[in-house]
Amino acid sequence: MAEESYKEYLANRVLTESQPITYRLLSRALKVNVNVAKRMLYEFYTTQTAKKPKSIHATYLIAGKKRSSEDSNGSNGHDGDDTVMRSSPFMSSLPAPEEPLEKPVPKTSIVLVREEELEKTKGRFEEITSIHVYSLEPGPLENLNLLAVCNQEIVDNYSSGDPLDRWGIYGSIRNPYVKRRTTKHTPVTAKNAPKATGKPTAPAKEAKKEAPAAAAQKESTPDENKSGRSTPQPGPAASLKRTDSKSKAKKDTAAGDLFKSFAKTKPKAKEAEKPKEEDEPMQGMSEDEGDDDDEPAVKFDEEKAAAAKKAREDREKQLREMMEADVDMPDAPTEEEKDSQDAPIDKEAPSKPAESEATVTVQGGRRRGRRRVMKKKKVKDEDGYLVTKEEAVWESFSEDEPEPKKPKPAPKPAAAKGKKAGAKGQGNIASFFKKG
Amino acid sequence: MQGVVPMMDSPWRLLMAAPATFCATRSAITIEDAASDFSRNASAYKPLHTFELPTGAEKHYHHQFADMYFLRLVQLKQAVKQKAHDAWDDFKLGGERASYVERVLDVRQGELCWVVGTVYMEMALKPNVLDDLSKEHWIAAPPPRETYVSPSGADELMLEDESGRLRIIGDSLNSHYVTGCILAALGTEQADGSFQVIATQYADLPRQPRRWESEDAAPKAKRERSGKLALVSGLDITGTPDDDLLLDLLVEYLTGEATGPPDQTAASQISRLIIAGNSLAHASPILNRDDFNAKKSAKKHYGYDASSYNATPAEKLDSLLSQILPSLPITILPGEHDPANVALPQQPLHPALFPLSRAYANPPVQSKESLEGLDSVTNPWEADVEGWRILGTGGQTVDDLLKYVDDVEPLDVMEMMLRWRCIAPTAPDTLWCYPFQDDDPLILRECPHIYFAGNREKFESRVVQGPAGQQVLLLGVPRYSTTGQIVLVDMETLDVELVEVGVVQPAS
Repeated sequence: MAEESYKEYLANRVLTESQPITYRLLSRALKVNVNVAKRMLYEFYTTQTAKKPKSIHATYLIAGKKRSSEDSNGSNGHDGDDTVMRSSPFMSSLPAPEEPLEKPVPKTSIVLVREEELEKTKGRFEEITSIHVYSLEPGPLENLNLLAVCNQEIVDNYSSGDPLDRWGIYGSIRNPYVKRRTTKHTPVTAKNAPKATGKPTAPAKEAKKEAPAAAAQKESTPDENKSGRSTPQPGPAASLKRTDSKSKAKKDTAAGDLFKSFAKTKPKAKEAEKPKEEDEPMQGMSEDEGDDDDEPAVKFDEEKAAAAKKAREDREKQLREMMEADVDMPDAPTEEEKDSQDAPIDKEAPSKPAESEATVTVQGGRRRGRRRVMKKKKVKDEDGYLVTKEEAVWESFSEDEPEPKKPKPAPKPAAAKGKKAGAKGQGNIASFFKKG
Repeated sequence: MQGVVPMMDSPWRLLMAAPATFCATRSAITIEDAASDFSRNASAYKPLHTFELPTGAEKHYHHQFADMYFLRLVQLKQAVKQKAHDAWDDFKLGGERASYVERVLDVRQGELCWVVGTVYMEMALKPNVLDDLSKEHWIAAPPPRETYVSPSGADELMLEDESGRLRIIGDSLNSHYVTGCILAALGTEQADGSFQVIATQYADLPRQPRRWESEDAAPKAKRERSGKLALVSGLDITGTPDDDLLLDLLVEYLTGEATGPPDQTAASQISRLIIAGNSLAHASPILNRDDFNAKKSAKKHYGYDASSYNATPAEKLDSLLSQILPSLPITILPGEHDPANVALPQQPLHPALFPLSRAYANPPVQSKESLEGLDSVTNPWEADVEGWRILGTGGQTVDDLLKYVDDVEPLDVMEMMLRWRCIAPTAPDTLWCYPFQDDDPLILRECPHIYFAGNREKFESRVVQGPAGQQVLLLGVPRYSTTGQIVLVDMETLDVELVEVGVVQPAS
């Protein structure tokens, strides 16, 4: 460390930039022992004041024993705050031992003081074991707390490097026993580093994770929705055939294989499913709206989205036509709409109470059957109160059934029907929890 | 570097001529030499996990607190009875020999006898759930009470066991006992049904382990001379710049950067720092009444409002610890204002609070303790440090107990807690506490050598003696934020000294 360089540094820092500097910051900046830095400060201070008195201001740190009269006073004058303490004598019956024999506890005082108060403060000390320049600043400080910025600067700028090696450079007390593990999450660098990197990365990562997940969900939901209504398994196959576009391409990798495995008669199934889809007006409706709302939020595949949208629009048109004719469940669609708007994933859930179990018989191109619908019922009970209950009501329905009976071979309708009641219910629950 | 030295030597001497300083007596070169080989001794440290609660689903808060009183009575009755037998077996009053009565309800009028039971104090000003409810309707909340003692002297003292309660009166009782401590009372029942007490006995200090007892099974060949133990409490970090300078000086002192070689040498003898609670000023998960009202008047949010959380104090604390840790191992206890659970025993501060400092702690999956580095522990906390048994709290127990009594010093309270063998006698009554079921760790099993309580108004220390030659050093660790004091205990001699850090602010 060339001696000129520290003078230059100090002149620059204190005189030009008008920044305070402590011995500690100087030692960090120049990578010297703190005790050397203390002397540098003093040296600089004396030469400067010799050149031009009052051009620079110093604070000192005094360590030593204060006079005992001062002991009770305390350097901070905080002792006056003791309001809770009680001065009355100890209670008599306590076996409190010889209190008077307590010898005064030796006390070392370390006091930070401006040069103005230095002499006065020194006078309070009985014995001074050490005194050194703590900081230099361009002018008298109004508030010594300002010096804390120097230590903040150390933390911000000079905390790189292995903290366990600091003792060698700066002369702090060495502890050979302390171990430090290096964690991935807490970089050794500046104080801000973990804040900057650690915190945001986690959310970022999560967000990233979230995004594909969401995309995946989105990818699957349209299909799910389409399928969910009637025959979950063939449904996606059908829809993806129908949309016949990117969604299919995508789907093929994932779900496609699965469907292939059991859909021997896939081409026919597709035809069969398509009209069937139309049989469920309310679900179709809700699904469309849900997806439209959500689409912009997630950009997973614009082409696919466009294609899907187009397909959906077609279907929506068809559905609307259906709706007009549909008289079976007047309240269901509204309920669907409500739910589907905020929770697309959840779309199937509401349909569950409305149509939980259905016995469907397919006869000559018409599906007939009974299904259970939850209906609100107002009843006057024996006390004369009006009680509103939700009741499961069986109602019969009859709908157009896609003609091809044969293309749906034995396994298929069985699967379809079985699934309708069972698998769908499960699907609903699963999606319900997904939402939560 | 060497080039600087001769140059600087002379002016330095000039300044230092008047006071007896290090530079007046030593040359600059030796300073450098000395500075670089300050080295600390190892800290022989063995935390005991007495106060750790079971984790996760094992922790049940739905139990009744009655079990704690029952446990306490059962476990301490024997010791108290023994003491009472020793004291009163030969006691005669008017030719009548005192007899032991098993249950408080079996006391017969006019008969000289003694019973053992749990003290319960009925105090008009003691917090009451019903009062709390009615408070909801008050416009201005009453100020927090400094004492529960009612000025009219209407407070009643009861002795209870599993059979019932006995109202006890007598001069020897006044402000010597508080709710929850186990007591043997000698006296007679008066015509009005109250029990006139002549004398009382308590369990007194339990057995004290010898120094190094836990390690004597496999003694080390040679132990280094033990260093000093530094204790601070009440750093009260608020995150405002005002408290920074004092904290910086603490760091600089402990790392041995501030001051000159004589004091640096002294600082290098410190081998462990204990932070005894209240490191943060306003971080308790349960707001005090003022904070709560302030918050309530603000905009209403549903659930947790993340935007109102101020991370600065916690970051400041982490930064402070991480500056000290390379040089000094730290044990940190939570306190009343710290972000830990509020019920005693408070569980260790979570390592997530210390993104920088936790690099010095063992990962929680590996071990619950870090012998050399940052050890985040419970409050109360027990450990063997340098062979001595140390028991410490963040100070809530003492504060709460002081509200029950008049004219009693904190050190007296601490002493009595040890003699009652109950670290938190008032715990389930006026101090939040975990409902222990099978075992109550707050009952003192072994007498510590050092018992400290954090967050006291001023520093105090005293040595108390037990009947079997036990010696306990009681320490009231003052708040650093107001006193700037660090307590040092020489772990070889158990001598206490103080270091006071201060700032002389400009008079204006």
